[in-house]
Amino acid sequence: MAKKPDLLPGTLDMLILKTLTRGALHGYGIALSIKRLSDDVLTVEEGSLYPALQRLLLQNWVKAEWKMTDTNRRARFYTLTAAGRKQLGVELSQFEQMIAAIGRVLSDVQEA
Amino acid sequence: MKFLNKLSLLFGRRRFHDDLDEEMAFHRAQAERDFVAEGMSPEEARYAAMRQFGNGTRIKERSRELIGFRAETVLHDLRYALRQLVSSPGFTLVILLTLALAIGANTAIFSVINGVLLKRLPYEQPDRLMRIFLSGTDYPKFPLNPFDFRDYRTRSRSFESMAAFNRGDVQLSGSGEPVHLNGFGITSGYFHVLGLHPQLGREFDRNAEIPGNGLEIIISDRLWRTRFGADPNIIGRKITVNMQPFTVIGVMPAGTVHPGNVYHALPYGESVDVWWPFSFAGDPNRRGSHFIEGIARLKDNVTAAQAASDLNTIMNQISHEHSNGDTGWKVLVIPLYNEVVGQSRQMLLVLLGAVVIVLLIACANAANLLLARASSRQREIAVRVAMGAPRMRVIRQLMTESLLISFLGGGLGLATAFSGVKVLVSLLPSDFPRAQDIHVSAPVLAFTILITVVTGILFGLAPAFQAAGADPREGLQKGGRATTGSRRQRRLRDALVVAEVSLACVLLIGAGLMLRSFLNQLRLDPGFQRAQVLTANLSLPHVKYAKEEQVERFYNQLADNLSALPGVEYAGVGSDLPWTGYDENAGGFTVEGKKPPAGQEFHGRYHMATPSYFSALGIPLVAGRFFSDADNNTAPNVIIINRVMAERYWPGENVIGKRMSFSDGPKTDKDWITVVGVVGNVKDQPNSPETHNAFWFPVLQAAWTSDMSVVISTRMQPRLLADSLRNEVHRLDPNLAIADVQVIDQIVDSSVSTPRFAFALVGLFAGLAIVLAGIGTYGVISYSVSQRTPELGIRMALGAVRSDVMRLVLSHAARLAGLGTALGLVAAFALSRLLKSLIFDVSPADPATFASVAGIVILVALLAGYVPALRATATDPMNALRAE
Repeated sequence: MAKKPDLLPGTLDMLILKTLTRGALHGYGIALSIKRLSDDVLTVEEGSLYPALQRLLLQNWVKAEWKMTDTNRRARFYTLTAAGRKQLGVELSQFEQMIAAIGRVLSDVQEA
Repeated sequence: MKFLNKLSLLFGRRRFHDDLDEEMAFHRAQAERDFVAEGMSPEEARYAAMRQFGNGTRIKERSRELIGFRAETVLHDLRYALRQLVSSPGFTLVILLTLALAIGANTAIFSVINGVLLKRLPYEQPDRLMRIFLSGTDYPKFPLNPFDFRDYRTRSRSFESMAAFNRGDVQLSGSGEPVHLNGFGITSGYFHVLGLHPQLGREFDRNAEIPGNGLEIIISDRLWRTRFGADPNIIGRKITVNMQPFTVIGVMPAGTVHPGNVYHALPYGESVDVWWPFSFAGDPNRRGSHFIEGIARLKDNVTAAQAASDLNTIMNQISHEHSNGDTGWKVLVIPLYNEVVGQSRQMLLVLLGAVVIVLLIACANAANLLLARASSRQREIAVRVAMGAPRMRVIRQLMTESLLISFLGGGLGLATAFSGVKVLVSLLPSDFPRAQDIHVSAPVLAFTILITVVTGILFGLAPAFQAAGADPREGLQKGGRATTGSRRQRRLRDALVVAEVSLACVLLIGAGLMLRSFLNQLRLDPGFQRAQVLTANLSLPHVKYAKEEQVERFYNQLADNLSALPGVEYAGVGSDLPWTGYDENAGGFTVEGKKPPAGQEFHGRYHMATPSYFSALGIPLVAGRFFSDADNNTAPNVIIINRVMAERYWPGENVIGKRMSFSDGPKTDKDWITVVGVVGNVKDQPNSPETHNAFWFPVLQAAWTSDMSVVISTRMQPRLLADSLRNEVHRLDPNLAIADVQVIDQIVDSSVSTPRFAFALVGLFAGLAIVLAGIGTYGVISYSVSQRTPELGIRMALGAVRSDVMRLVLSHAARLAGLGTALGLVAAFALSRLLKSLIFDVSPADPATFASVAGIVILVALLAGYVPALRATATDPMNALRAE
């Protein structure tokens, strides 16, 4: 089995925040959503997911609530806060800047 | 915000954990369900979900660390560490006692160092204060001539201010019994130089330096309070000093500390109660007599060396002006701090070195005990690592344990130090500087905390990294009964023991050298009788005893009366007592028919004595005779010299009947003094490198001073004569104060107090070191025996006899001790040179000391190995094998 690419460092928080823009989700849902949207390329290790969620909670970028799922099970749902939305903006622009920078370096290398 | 979040999470900790558990359970359940939906069997799905989820404990730890305050984990670690310590009380006790002693000893010695070496002298900008002396070939540190000093003061441009002082004790009478007080004659500006100001009145001005203006006095705070009831109107009051009315013009505040002096020395910090004005009496062109000492404050940006060269230039000018030619004297400028701290510095640094070594040994010992315990805890730690505890977490846990140990040890050590410092100060030699400044103070506490932390980290590091670096699989497989321990671990433990042994070796050699030096000083023939002699000091007030004859008559009568007392063997009076640093010098006298050695003049210490003085002190007569009552003012002048002087100035000749003179150009027989006796040598101090030339005048012919010492030898307990002495003195003059009544043993005793102190402490530390090294060796050998039980069992099952096993174990101990001793001897050889100035008549590489220390260390190590070896031979092969 081919090794799946690791997440770029520091992008997990951004991915979680972005995922939550579409509405409240529980941890499993977040992992699943990222996996599906990336066509199975990105898998979020649970070992990183839950500590990351705690980190976001701590920063007040998300908030958590126990609710019932469609299948009537108790689950912890995360929603984006206003601060989280702002943070996502910051992270996205930083990420784009970085991608652009990497792109410039790579295209330069190809031309040479 | 983040903080508040954390806080709420902390208070809702239980909820946080429950939430996390439930959330993770939900996650696994969801994953399992989806796997089933994809077609897995429920069984497979559960395993797949669990595998995918990974290590739940790890996730929880990481999440918990995120929310937890440091303090929380620290508290948690502390509780755990405490439980660990309580669970093995024997281990805890040994390690705590060791550390308490080592840290206590370090704290105590550091208190001394802080008080003596580090604390500022209690003067303004003390580092600018300099002492000024002359220095010549025979007298390395000599007082100044007053007129020379006055010229320095006028001409020198290196000093902000300059003053001179000389010892002149006084007798205070008036109300109550007359008392003898330490006093100093001081020039104007003396207190200004020191940066001290009177609390009442003023200090002397230049007017007071003019002869005849001198009936003014400054008194100490102590005297003001005890004798004059802190009278606020004391300024201007007349008090009776040396039977003359002096006007009090100033009162110095408490904390006016005497800077110490050399001529008729009174050590730094001794109480001085009166200061009288020094006046420049006599002929300024005659500059032969030297008796005042200079103290001065350097200008900013001037160094001591520059000041010295400035003064030497002035000195040369003065010599030319007074056509003295080259006198051979140089001016010496010594920082006051060096002068005060002097020799004690070397000794204190050696003591510091010794306690630091003890601390290192204690560290090594603690590390070893922890290492041994860490390997028996290997399973526990392996389990924790396998369960997902991060290595840093394990290291932190173990470091918390060692820091807890070191802090408990440090706390105990501090308690020890509080009483230890008191004992230490009481043991200090009487002439030790700044003893009153030694306390467990804030800087000392800071030092203790510092070494406690450093110690904890030092002995905790090895076991912590060892444990954290271990492979958990190994720990688990060995099932807790870790057998031989890794080779690296064994090496580390052996190395620690070798280090301990070698350090202990260094200390023992230091102690051995000091012991030999101390014994040498004890065995030294002092040249006088060590016991059965009572001594005291008397001072006759000048007003009442203005004429030499009065002084002569008084002392001669006193000596006669004392001799007549029952139980008294001999009673005499002399200008001084042996070994008390008496330093009256005469130079430039004439020896009939001789020329002084090139570039020198005839010189010697001069003394006075009554006929029985030498007999009472047991100073032997080498040739000729002692004085007799017939050697009085009407008889020809006679003198007694010591053996050194006889050999130096009349080598190989019969000295008796030879003549010397103190007159300029002796002509008549009356100008000459005939040598009638030669007595044995007595040094100034027991550790003086050599005996000075010395000579004695009979009191009846030349009582130049009215301050004398009484010596009485007896077959009884000398103390019993103290009252009779007092009675006899008061029968002659009821107004006299009698000072320093003591048995001569006390003089002898105090003269060896410094080497005894040094030996006692270094010896104590060395003792501690060797015990610790013994414990260390015992620990390692006994641990290795317990680890090797199965191996020994096999050996015995295969036919090894007890003596083989014994040899096997002991040879391990011997190897460690041998290597440690070898290293220790080499280190001691390199280091013992530092002791050179502290030891007397012993080579720093004294082979006897080195050999016996090597013997002792190896013996102790073998003894420490013997007990576990005995246990090893008692191994029952069957049991040993079954245990495996």
